[in-house]
Amino acid sequence: MSRFFQRIVGLAVIVIVLAASGLLWWAVTVQHSPTMWDPIAVTIGGVWQVMYSAELPRLRLVAVALALALIMIIIVVAAERIVSRRYRRTPPHRAERPLAPRVVMARTRGQFAGEVTVTALIPAHNEEASLPATIASLRAQTSPPERVIVVADNCTDDTVRVAREAGVEVFETVNNVHKKGGALNQALTDLLPNLGDNDTVLVMDADTQLGPEFIATAKRHFTDDRALMAVGGLFSGEEGHGLLGQFQRNEYFRYQREIRRRDGRVFVLTGTGTAFRATALKAVADSRGRAIPGLQGDVYDTFALTEDNELTIAIKSLGGLMVSPPECTVVTELMPSWGMLWAQRLRWQRGALENLGAYGITPQTFRYWAQQIAIGYGVFALAAYFVLILLMIFAMDTWVWFPFWLSIGLLFALERMVTAWHGGWRARILSVLIFPELVYDSFLNLAFLKGVFEISSGQRPTWKHVEHTPSSAQAAEESSLLTEHVLGQEVVSVVDLTAQGEPAGSTLARHHAESENTEVRA
Amino acid sequence: MVVQGILFPEEWLTTDWFSIFATVVAINTLVYVVLGVSKLLPVWHLRFFKRGGRNRRGETRSIYPDAKP
Repeated sequence: MSRFFQRIVGLAVIVIVLAASGLLWWAVTVQHSPTMWDPIAVTIGGVWQVMYSAELPRLRLVAVALALALIMIIIVVAAERIVSRRYRRTPPHRAERPLAPRVVMARTRGQFAGEVTVTALIPAHNEEASLPATIASLRAQTSPPERVIVVADNCTDDTVRVAREAGVEVFETVNNVHKKGGALNQALTDLLPNLGDNDTVLVMDADTQLGPEFIATAKRHFTDDRALMAVGGLFSGEEGHGLLGQFQRNEYFRYQREIRRRDGRVFVLTGTGTAFRATALKAVADSRGRAIPGLQGDVYDTFALTEDNELTIAIKSLGGLMVSPPECTVVTELMPSWGMLWAQRLRWQRGALENLGAYGITPQTFRYWAQQIAIGYGVFALAAYFVLILLMIFAMDTWVWFPFWLSIGLLFALERMVTAWHGGWRARILSVLIFPELVYDSFLNLAFLKGVFEISSGQRPTWKHVEHTPSSAQAAEESSLLTEHVLGQEVVSVVDLTAQGEPAGSTLARHHAESENTEVRA
Repeated sequence: MVVQGILFPEEWLTTDWFSIFATVVAINTLVYVVLGVSKLLPVWHLRFFKRGGRNRRGETRSIYPDAKP
């Protein structure tokens, strides 16, 4: 897809959202008959006088809103079902969808390629601190992996020694400049040729712990369905980080709930923990540069900011089936500060939009486009809501209650609380208050807007990698030009290279980042 | 005398544009509450249909060639 198309992705989302908002505004104007709200005064307990508006919204208004909501649900659900069915029924001779179930079935019919095996690949860049717990979580599996390989990428700490002492294999990358995706590509180039149809590769982050049933469940699914190409993890947030941590945990709980309600039909195979059938990774590497974007031979597209989202779309585009079963849980790191969260979400947003730019409008990306537009519309709707509330607060002479809208508010509170119910009492209290989470949502919305504007104006991201445990002052100094130490996370900063006279497409700009997942807001 | 809220004149709330704006926000709010409530309803599984017709498996998908479909 052309660079021009990449840039207009952001604009397209903005234009569609503005058009939808404008259309709604216009429709209301045309239909509008001015109504004077006339609050009624009532005295409670003989002392406290309150004003309230008994006015109900016109029936037509409610009907329009209901119809709009239902139409949107139906379009998205139906389109997704139609696309998945069409891909699932791809005839065996369609060469451009090598992972479609009937193609796989025809190729493997009557053959037994051995029991399902799991090779865990753990990309690690200076992860000496978190590796032992991660390896321990693999050993504690009810069905441990056959092999564990730590992919040590440009490590300046003791990652390699720590891994060897823990008794696992180590693959050291050579001259890798493409971060996590590049490291995994090197390891997979080495590994994949020796793997057969029933061998799987579990790619997981070094700061992630798998639920004890993860591998056993994945093996069962891969055994029952030889056309199943990936089993993805359902991630939840680690404990801690106070209120900010709780916001993120609530968000992840809701996402988990959503995927469970969808029977495990997943949007993103999370980079924090997903098992792939080797066949899928081979087909992706083989199809890049032809049916899907990227360089031929690369499993991960090193141009993608969110390579797990990209790989998900790649496998879906090739017809592969995937699932995220409820047992496959993953506990992952949360962002400890607002600054880090900002950087993470900016990366996810930009990554998701760039992936769409790379793939364009295809049947399999329809759902992802709809999601971006929905988020965009949500930005507008939430901002308008806040403006209205503030206008009313600052322009009303006396406070007026609106019983109808209060009851709508209670419904929202109920929805927020029920969807975060499994998060425990802290999650329930935070969500029932509504407004704190609306503020958190607004923060994410701002990151979305920034991402959209950056991508539209052609700004390119560069990456500042941050070590987990700064091992020495010298290392910190050495890396200060390109990196920044902030509590062991990765921070993206965006510089407008175009403004600095850097040619578009410069390899300097090809810095890529680790990615856990995208689109947690389904 | 102009009736004044904390910051803005109260007449704003009776203007046409405010009324339109409030209606737009009202529609949005109702749309979102419908979407929200739809997430509370039990999921409607069409399992019966899923296993019938063209969705019925004619052969095993297991890695063992002689397993039952």
